[in-house]
Amino acid sequence: MASIARCLRAVRPSTVSRLAQTPRMRSNWQANSVRAFSTSPISKLSDVAILQIQAPTPLPVHIVGEYHTARNCCGDIRKYTKEHEWVDLNADQTSGVIGISEYAAEELGDVVYVELPEEGKELVAGDTLGAVESVKSAADINSPIACTVTAANIALEDKPGTINQVPEDDSHGGGWIAKVTIGEQGRKDFESLMDLEEYKAFTGSQEH
Amino acid sequence: MALRAFSSRLPAAHYHSGIGLTKARRTQRRLIIPSSRFFSAEAVSSPSNLVQVYISRSTDPYLNLSIEHFLLQKSHPDSVILLLYTNRPCIVIGRNQNPWVEVNLGLVNQRGILRQLRASSESGAQEEGDAVVKNDADGVKNSPKEVEVREADADADDVLLVRRRSGGGTVFHDAGNVNYSVICPPASFDRDKHAEMVVRALQGLRKGNVRVNERHDIVLDVPPTQPSNTSHDVDVTMNNMDGIRTFKISGSAYKLTRTRSLHHGTCLLSSPHLLFLSQLLRSPAAPYIKARGVESVRSPVRNVGLSNAEFEDAVVAEFLRMYEDAAQDQLEKNGQTSKIDVEILDETVVQDIPEVRAGIAELRSRDWIYTQTPQFTFSSHPTADDPRPRPDLPTDLPSSFFPTNAEHSGSADAAPVPGLRMTVRHGQITEVVAPLSKDSESHGAKTPGGENNLADSLKNLYLHHVDDWRTYVGSENESVGRWLNRLFGAGS
Repeated sequence: MASIARCLRAVRPSTVSRLAQTPRMRSNWQANSVRAFSTSPISKLSDVAILQIQAPTPLPVHIVGEYHTARNCCGDIRKYTKEHEWVDLNADQTSGVIGISEYAAEELGDVVYVELPEEGKELVAGDTLGAVESVKSAADINSPIACTVTAANIALEDKPGTINQVPEDDSHGGGWIAKVTIGEQGRKDFESLMDLEEYKAFTGSQEH
Repeated sequence: MALRAFSSRLPAAHYHSGIGLTKARRTQRRLIIPSSRFFSAEAVSSPSNLVQVYISRSTDPYLNLSIEHFLLQKSHPDSVILLLYTNRPCIVIGRNQNPWVEVNLGLVNQRGILRQLRASSESGAQEEGDAVVKNDADGVKNSPKEVEVREADADADDVLLVRRRSGGGTVFHDAGNVNYSVICPPASFDRDKHAEMVVRALQGLRKGNVRVNERHDIVLDVPPTQPSNTSHDVDVTMNNMDGIRTFKISGSAYKLTRTRSLHHGTCLLSSPHLLFLSQLLRSPAAPYIKARGVESVRSPVRNVGLSNAEFEDAVVAEFLRMYEDAAQDQLEKNGQTSKIDVEILDETVVQDIPEVRAGIAELRSRDWIYTQTPQFTFSSHPTADDPRPRPDLPTDLPSSFFPTNAEHSGSADAAPVPGLRMTVRHGQITEVVAPLSKDSESHGAKTPGGENNLADSLKNLYLHHVDDWRTYVGSENESVGRWLNRLFGAGS
């Protein structure tokens, strides 16, 4: 997903004023978050989204420091790659969920097809986990960590646009890509990834 | 080894020797390297080669796409690369497209199809649709098993089928179409940037009415007064308020990897085959198929009206102008003075590169071309998921394809939806709902197990393995076999 990072500039509406009314905890990237959630029916919002709405501080840039080790309802911790994938590690560090970040989803534009990994596929960090197509572009999704695929999000085959709506939602109906099991190497890889604060700084720096 | 088969019997007429050095100011800066002495993983990934320009003289689409993929994967992350190539006639579908929807396989699989199409066009026998050359016309029809052979010595009038690695829709290539490909760091990637580069190159060649449109394609605006006898216009041309007609001359597609971005595009310069595109790219199966993935957007097309050499020369010059600073830095570092080399690649050199060989093998494999297809359903009749009206079915299909109300209400075990439905995943039929054979006058009462023979015999088949559907559907369903042969371009 690296190429998505700084390159696929979409025209984005000015969102500063709306952002101020949309405080959220897991936002990595301001404009994106507004679009992602403004186009989602409320019933589709994940637990994460609900937490975000309840978060008190208006500007995500300033709140991330307080929340970067936050866990979702299941006690998972989320980290990010420079190529804009995220991975949740569950509390006992044996399994996780992988997806692409809101920043990436926004930059890609409308996703029209998702190539999902086969169950049982074993990957090392950086291997191609799948691919998404949007606006004539086929973009690789890379595995952030060493892992074995236990399930792919089959719902994306029918509704690839879910990736644009709720890319960081790891629940049923969300835009996650794959569920995986993780071993020693995967845990090691996970350590080297960016937490939310670092990722936010990273995407912020890429904006300019 | 597949590459040995590359023929040197290719028509040479449209290849110019070297680049047309028509403008002196460009020749100052360029050195033509006659063979690719420096083309290797080491050379393309060298940090001292930050601006690279290649022109491939191969006309093999699988090979050219594999050179491109090799450059995408192996070139230095900071480098900027231009590759130009011209393929022999082929239809190139996007990574996530469906060949049974996009392509008239019955036509495309015929040997010498372009020759036949030209002949029937010239003799004035031109008709609409696939009636011009039927599947059982005098052209020799290939069974899928023969395709490897056919590809190996494809002649200039065959049309190859190619699935590329980038996204987007289906395009037609031939010797009158030059492809440009720019590989650059993702940070400098922009969907229009290099299409604009090509627009500037065309404008420099006095093709003023070209622009990049909202789909990132390059289009040509033709004022109402200008006669349109210089090209073949396919489909219905678009008319706007001013009477200006707009034609697509170049289509773009992109591939993004972890470290690199690729933008490649076609440019129709002088194709003699535009008249036939709508036939070649109209599948008789399309009205029955609901597919996931990417469907092509049809556009009227036209030739720009330039020689390949002029275009190549102008694009190289424009590319170097864009990256002049980087090029100068590189040259100074290398102790050179004023030249970026344009390397001419020929088949004999690149085929020694293992990654290129592997890439060709993958692209040529029927697995890549067919089983990469996103899941789709085929339904002979409208369904809830795909309610489009269907074309009239052949009247000789079994009566179960033409249910009556009485049949529906009178029989408890009648299928809720008549006709044939198939789900095809990775090119394989995974589910079938087939009509029960109720033609009592011909078959009489059937055992319950025998009634679903059609479904049983179709399940698990790979579509592209079927040479002749009649051999799978049984003699009592021969009409179904003929119908499927026509839709999917099988049978002889």
